[in-house]
Amino acid sequence: MSLSTAEALTDALREEARRLLAEGTVAVVVGWEAGRFPNQTTPAFISDPEQAQRLVYGDYCVNTLAKYALGEKAAGKVAVCVRGCDSRGINRMIADNQLLRDEVYLLGLPCSGMKDPATGSLLMKCRTCTEHDAVTYDVLLGPATAAGHDGASADSSAGDSEHVSDEQRFTAVLGIEEMAPEKRRALFDAAFNKCIRCYACRKSCPCCTCRECFVDQLRAGWQGKQNNLAENRFYNITRVFHIGDRCIECGECERACPMGLPLMALNRKMVKDLKSLFNADDAGMTEENSAALGRYDLGDLEEFM
Amino acid sequence: MSRIGVFICHCGSNIGATVDVPKVVEAARTLPHVVYADDNKYTCSDPGQQSIRDAIEEHDLDRIVIASCSPRMHELTFRKMLHQTRINPYLLEIANIREQCSWVHKDIEAGTAKAIDLVRMAAAKIDRDTPLYTTTIPVNKRALVIGGGIAGMQAALDIADAGYPVTLVEKEPSLGGKMVMLDKTFPTMDCSACICTPKMAEVGTHPRIEVRTCAEVEKVAGYVGNFEVTIREAPKHVDYELCTGCGLCESKCPTKITSEFDQGLGKRKAIYKPFAQAVPSKPTIDAAHCRKINEGKCGVCEKLCPTGAIRFDDEEKRSTETYGAIIVAIGYQLIDWADLYGEYGGRVASPNVITGLQFERLVNASGPTEGHIQRPSDGTEPKSVVIVKCVGSRDPHKGKAYCSRACCMYGAKHAHQYLDKVPDGRCYVFYMDVRTPGKGYDEFYMNTQRDGAVYLRGRVSKIYEQGGKLVCLGEDTLAGATVQVEADLVVLETAMVPADDADRLGSMLGVTRDKDLWLSEAHPKLRPVETNSGGVYLAGTCQGPKDIPDTVAQASAAAMKVCILFSKDELESNAMIAGSDVGLCNGCGACVAICPYQAVTLEEVTRRENSVMVTRTVSNVNPGLCQGCGACTVACKPGAMDLKGFSDEQIMREVEALCL
Amino acid sequence: MPVNEAPTASAATAATAATAATAFEPTILAFCCHWCTYSGADLAGLNRMSYPANVRVLRVPCSGRVNPQFVLTALNKGCDGVLVCGCHPGDCHYVSGNYFARRRLMAFKRLLEFTGLEPERFQVRWISGSEAGKFRDTVIEVCDQIRALGPYRSGVSDDVSLNG
Repeated sequence: MSLSTAEALTDALREEARRLLAEGTVAVVVGWEAGRFPNQTTPAFISDPEQAQRLVYGDYCVNTLAKYALGEKAAGKVAVCVRGCDSRGINRMIADNQLLRDEVYLLGLPCSGMKDPATGSLLMKCRTCTEHDAVTYDVLLGPATAAGHDGASADSSAGDSEHVSDEQRFTAVLGIEEMAPEKRRALFDAAFNKCIRCYACRKSCPCCTCRECFVDQLRAGWQGKQNNLAENRFYNITRVFHIGDRCIECGECERACPMGLPLMALNRKMVKDLKSLFNADDAGMTEENSAALGRYDLGDLEEFM
Repeated sequence: MSRIGVFICHCGSNIGATVDVPKVVEAARTLPHVVYADDNKYTCSDPGQQSIRDAIEEHDLDRIVIASCSPRMHELTFRKMLHQTRINPYLLEIANIREQCSWVHKDIEAGTAKAIDLVRMAAAKIDRDTPLYTTTIPVNKRALVIGGGIAGMQAALDIADAGYPVTLVEKEPSLGGKMVMLDKTFPTMDCSACICTPKMAEVGTHPRIEVRTCAEVEKVAGYVGNFEVTIREAPKHVDYELCTGCGLCESKCPTKITSEFDQGLGKRKAIYKPFAQAVPSKPTIDAAHCRKINEGKCGVCEKLCPTGAIRFDDEEKRSTETYGAIIVAIGYQLIDWADLYGEYGGRVASPNVITGLQFERLVNASGPTEGHIQRPSDGTEPKSVVIVKCVGSRDPHKGKAYCSRACCMYGAKHAHQYLDKVPDGRCYVFYMDVRTPGKGYDEFYMNTQRDGAVYLRGRVSKIYEQGGKLVCLGEDTLAGATVQVEADLVVLETAMVPADDADRLGSMLGVTRDKDLWLSEAHPKLRPVETNSGGVYLAGTCQGPKDIPDTVAQASAAAMKVCILFSKDELESNAMIAGSDVGLCNGCGACVAICPYQAVTLEEVTRRENSVMVTRTVSNVNPGLCQGCGACTVACKPGAMDLKGFSDEQIMREVEALCL
Repeated sequence: MPVNEAPTASAATAATAATAATAFEPTILAFCCHWCTYSGADLAGLNRMSYPANVRVLRVPCSGRVNPQFVLTALNKGCDGVLVCGCHPGDCHYVSGNYFARRRLMAFKRLLEFTGLEPERFQVRWISGSEAGKFRDTVIEVCDQIRALGPYRSGVSDDVSLNG
């Protein structure tokens, strides 16, 4: 986005945050604040109206904020800055009974895709984003993004097209599906071998809201503690299966992964299958829970006769 | 630390011939926590069982593995045996080394190795078994019957005659349902009212049947033996305690409205009984059309009523009561053909295109024409009638794919009745097939043909008006020619479809609906009146199209099931059911959506967590409803929901034991 | 590759391995629902049908009880193939368990194959209580397929070179 747009949005955001806190509408505002370098921001939690001017909005607000609402809601109503991904995360948590719509106040922000601090080009997760702007909000702080990702045409396969097609969205999945099985196995074995099971993917995911994750449950003993390929595969595949029918495709898991695992290819494989097999809706677009694996149709495809 | 005993059965030579039993015993002795292992010639025999009981005492066993025939064969036998010991009957695992090992593997080495694996799996599983207990559920011996048609009445009478109180809920102002609208019933041609109204009167006066008309079931909670049912009664505006049913009000009411009972062919008043023999034989005020209620003027009925029974300010009543069993008998309705069959005139069809049920009213002596068959358009007697069967039935493209079962006989009956009343008339029946399975049915159909009805095998493709006649274009597939018949009256034998309420009621009661929204029985052959909800039974056409004899038979069957249930004071619940770990449950509700028995609900709990009192929403399993399928356990991502007897931990240990 | 990579530790395979040191005999775990497939397997026994001893049946109340995590665990711990069997659609004793299983397992199977698992290693079949022959044929078929594939490399050894 242009510098002037970013500044205007930042001003509007600060003003709205200050007002909400001063009036006592919300107890805390979740947004971003400047980091040490100009191309860096970090999530900010503002509860003092005087501190509202710390908030910023611009090209480097890479964190999806939805999940932070859960941690803050004990203090009172939480204002959360939402773009497409954040708002779908909020909807997801509402659908999963983790959050009430009344517990959050959503500050809608236009988004034209964030930039990777390391390269300055469009962030990987934003290239295949299908919903740039908030799908739900209480107040909209800027005009909707009409033309998709600006300035992205040079380095993004999504280009500057208004809409990311399913073909673009599932490019990585389609590419892997075309590979020979051994090659797929090699690809994912190599990836899973890298996994250090830091669980950053879990921490960042708005679908991962269990009180105790299966990996930590000793009695059933789902997840062995050894760091080897078999256990890493078990974790990564089970993670996908747990969230696959609810994934909002924010890409935060993959961004958070310090080892660069192709997590979104896995997530999207399931999203794509559920969509084509069972007509699954895109998750997080509404507050309704429509997880495809939580229902069935008598006429479902029969592969096992 | 568990103390496991393992008992390997030879089953004579059934197991012993292809499994080296002593070797399996040796292997069993080396398994973790196994403190005793032995073999037995016939474990299920009395001496065999006694040796297990002795070993339990002697070696202080706290759980046992029996390697023998299939658990489908003797699991219950051995559980009963454990009842006589201090071990909980659910601390038993069976390794199936006969049906799934010795009988299918000829190689003794491979068979023995597999038997050892199976014993190891069973021992690993039982190490994680916990004692399970059944609970007893009290049975409230009161039945609720929903629907006061012939099915509901029959069921209510049977249950009441067996000595149990019954509440019968009917949404219309009178009992009788569809049957009482019919003129005569095939194949015997006895008058429908003559056989139906005595039943109505019997229900109305039965000391153990409480009839609630203008009433609907609003809410159902609870489970078998203990349903909490909220019934809503619409205001009748007449105090039935005072009303004597003299009928003065009805005769003087100035408002005339199209009669639902007469299928739109006759008129009724705003204060009315749907038909003369209605039960209860007292009128209700149709608030939507009453002048006093809507405009504040009139009130004639109130002035005339000798007992002062009129209550213009009557209000809706709600009551919640407990029932032990529910019979659903909400019947059917006819498909709305006009939207589907534009070629028959659709919404702008001639008034002389009528449904079979309208024909019933036309031909009925107490109907709007006093039994004279007249064209609705001009009151003349039709000299030529076309009957079209399968309108909406067996037509997957426009209507329903299924056969409505009663229409072949119904159509033959209409043809017969018409030719009987109009001897010089001509009657054409368009049909696809004639299906007459039933006592005396085919004979009846043959007689109708002898009466002079012309059966044309084919569908009618178009009906239009021309010169006061209805031209029916169709095909005679037997002659291989198109046919054109001019008719004065066309009767459409329309498909039966589920009542409007079926879907709502089904979801409220946890009864599944099939693709056409008929309520589903628990098993199409072996449990035809039960449903998947314990204590809920089906009677009549709400389960699928059927004729009166089948409906009555099913109603009595459902009543019998209720009586069986009521013959017990308490029910024993299933011990192997799901349970939710409150500490792990995050209240996402995935289990609620997945449970076919509506056994899981979300509820708020307040508990101490990390030294703080918190109130959270968590899932809760109703032990009276859960059948133990375990589908919820997989839907539960945090593993809070687990199945007793087949827990995650037990299955995981079994899997690991196999791979050791 | 350490020896414990292959499922030779299983008693069944150990027995066969003793007779033919080089021949590979797979270990196959079959989750069978109590109401249909388990009784179908019992019927195969009653009819004295014969099928390979490689399969071990684990009884579950319903195919809807089979958590995909069990399948992954089985493969990780040393099974060479996993079979899940339940009632035919429409026949579920618990109304809808197999419909949920159908969706879950279809999605799960595709996910596993996406990450390179041979399709034969994880299979699902609907086998009724009367289909003893189908049970036998399925076991024979799956066993042949997996024998041809060789042992499953779970990666317990963490040896990347193995995986190309």
